[in-house]
Amino acid sequence: MRKTLFAKGAAAAAVAALALTACGSNGSGDDDGKADDSPITWMSMLHTPVTPDADGPIQTALEEYTGQEFKMQWVPDASKEEKINSALASGQLADIVSLTVTDSTTVRQALKAGQFWDVEPFLKDFPNLAKIDPDTLEAAKLDGKLYGVPFQKIKTRYGVVVRQDWLDHLGLEVPHTIEDLEKVAVAFTKDDPDGNGKDDTTGFIDREESFLVGFRSLTGYFGAGDKFSVDDSGQVHAAFASDEFKQAMEWYRGVYEQGAVNQEFVTVQKQNQQDAIARGKGGIVVTGLFEAKNYVDLAQSADPKTPMKWALVNDMTLDGQPHHIITDTGGGMGGWLALPKSEVKDEAEVKKVLGFLDKLMDEEPFGLMTNGVEGTHYSQDADGVVTIEDQTAWEQEVQPYSSSRPSEKIVTYKSTKPYVDEANEKMAAQEPDAVINPTQSLSSETFDRQWSTIEDKAMDAYNRYLTGQIEMADYEAVVEDLRGQGLDDIEAEFTAAYAKVNG
Amino acid sequence: MSAVTAAKTAAPTTPTTSGGGVPARPRRKRVPALWKHKALYLMAVPGILYFILFKYAPMGGLVIAFQDYLPFLGIGGSPWVGFDHFVRFFSEDTFYVLLRNTLMISLGMLIFAFPVPVILALLLNEVRTKWFQRSIQSVVYLPHFLSWVIVVSIFYVLLTTDGGSVNNLLVSWGFDPVPFLTDPDWLRPMYIFQEIWKGAGWGTIVYLAAMTAVDVQLYEASELDGAGRMRQAWHITLPAIRPTIIVMFILAIGDFLELGFEHMFLVMNSLNRDVADIFDTYVYTAGIENGQLSYAAAVGLFKGLVGLVLVVFANRLAKRFGEEGVY
Repeated sequence: MRKTLFAKGAAAAAVAALALTACGSNGSGDDDGKADDSPITWMSMLHTPVTPDADGPIQTALEEYTGQEFKMQWVPDASKEEKINSALASGQLADIVSLTVTDSTTVRQALKAGQFWDVEPFLKDFPNLAKIDPDTLEAAKLDGKLYGVPFQKIKTRYGVVVRQDWLDHLGLEVPHTIEDLEKVAVAFTKDDPDGNGKDDTTGFIDREESFLVGFRSLTGYFGAGDKFSVDDSGQVHAAFASDEFKQAMEWYRGVYEQGAVNQEFVTVQKQNQQDAIARGKGGIVVTGLFEAKNYVDLAQSADPKTPMKWALVNDMTLDGQPHHIITDTGGGMGGWLALPKSEVKDEAEVKKVLGFLDKLMDEEPFGLMTNGVEGTHYSQDADGVVTIEDQTAWEQEVQPYSSSRPSEKIVTYKSTKPYVDEANEKMAAQEPDAVINPTQSLSSETFDRQWSTIEDKAMDAYNRYLTGQIEMADYEAVVEDLRGQGLDDIEAEFTAAYAKVNG
Repeated sequence: MSAVTAAKTAAPTTPTTSGGGVPARPRRKRVPALWKHKALYLMAVPGILYFILFKYAPMGGLVIAFQDYLPFLGIGGSPWVGFDHFVRFFSEDTFYVLLRNTLMISLGMLIFAFPVPVILALLLNEVRTKWFQRSIQSVVYLPHFLSWVIVVSIFYVLLTTDGGSVNNLLVSWGFDPVPFLTDPDWLRPMYIFQEIWKGAGWGTIVYLAAMTAVDVQLYEASELDGAGRMRQAWHITLPAIRPTIIVMFILAIGDFLELGFEHMFLVMNSLNRDVADIFDTYVYTAGIENGQLSYAAAVGLFKGLVGLVLVVFANRLAKRFGEEGVY
């Protein structure tokens, strides 16, 4: 195992080393506080298969606008937990570290240990940072301290997207209730919705992270909480142990047993999932509503004449219950842009880095990171409607930066692309129904130490239940077991912390 | 291991070439002897440095197994907890699960995977057409150069029940699809099969090299006595490469717990974790994913100790059977 750990460490170090060489060379000069022209390094997540060129048009334009050179250290999103954890453990960090896994044990321990600057006192000096929604700031705090600039996201991006062309072909209506959703899923599986005469389609296309992503969103329709919920007496409960969650599990397993969920979803990665959707293997996805546009793009790149059409559903309900939607961005707080004290040495440097982030939140850089360069990547008509002209260039040069935008809410562009405007409207429309984790900024020792392990075990049990390896009683036994391993302590500690704040 | 053997084999051959004027008389005093053979020792320096830098120095980090290590406090600042992590590990069920999984797969590897290169080498050795032998050899070496990610991806595409070729074939023949990738019962066979597919060809190199050293006269003599191909392979080739087989066997036992993290990590998922989780993957999940660095270090240290015991034991065993062993 030494070998393994070492190899992993070495890999992480190698990733960081490229950019750190630059950082190290001027690091020695930082002591006199005059290292203002040195490039800022930024460790950020990459959601696309291609790493953008550092001399590419977007980075050049951003550097020009902000007057600040910077270097991106891309971390592939799929391996972000391992990479960020080993970076934190080995201290191989950058000036800005994007921390997007807000409940990770290592991240929380690092934040609370004071590895990063408390940026709150500085925010007021910067026009854009000073305007961050106070609710988002509150949600981003840990023990009352703000260990990074929060990523500002739309609160509720998730929903259910359904193949409209398949519905039309089978003469079905767009589902708005869980009951109808099941019927549609089964029809998509059994009634040959693509009309090719082969039994090669299914309803839901889910993936490995079902428990954390797609299915979690479905549990919201059943009334389950976002990771945790508070009952009337002020007790905090873990969502995955709740009756609503289990009810959702029973329902989803029923759908799975009818073949209406891809049967080996536990082995499916995000890329494979998108691939399967683009190839028309399934017609229902629980995901961000903005994905519909990406699916069409993908399908068109394979087959320009694809009949793919999507219905975006943002009002799914169960038996006349009100519509709930679990936030997928921590209530609009998508993580922290944190400044490690080991890299950012003094207040002058903190201000320099914050100034850079502040400028990125202006309209022009936001546009660069969203649409690209006008004339090269997109064009805009008199009404401000954006058309992406060069889809390939946009995917390679622009899209990688879009998830690094400190705020996603600066401007909402109108688009000629189908589903973009519709998704933006529908995501905004369901914000009032958002279900947000009440414990997000509360503190629990046991949570910080044990949650990752507990959630992993619950997730395994969920997967095994869904695929029929175990029964509900076994799932409950696993949950009982987890209670002894810290879940009870977590709930008790959160309950106490909640009472203190709201009491 | 390769560095050690390389250094050892390098030593006896070099005096003739580089140490030209050295008298053969043995010296009693250490330092002059060191100086006399300075060229040889100099040649060993890179190897020694390698081991110190990359094998021994990192061992210092093992002290975190006895701490509640927090990265930002460092080894100096983290509190000491003695054997707490070991106690926790041995008292949890995980320990037995990991030990069972590791042993089962290692045993399977020894029984099913270890003989394959020997058999393959024997077969290759019997091929008399040179160009055919060479081309077959090159083809069976190829999988060794593919990374596990590629190998596992290929098998994934073949074996998945959502449109994999193997399952499509099974279904078209009227069988039920088999969930190779998720069924716990299929994990071990699949794992061992993949190891064989990737490693067997490469493993033949050592045996083929040993076979070239067999005296041709032995074959000729046996032919005169009327021995066929099978008899020759059984009574001449196999005994001739026996020491090699035994050395390889000892090395394999030394790696008994060292299954390799990457392969298992790639084939493991929620559904087969019960039989797939081995020490290496557990250390990774507990340490890197869940941030329990000290606990993971303790588990890894324990694994290393057991591995050491196994090597010593296997070596003793080999010596008892009159073979040379590795040290």
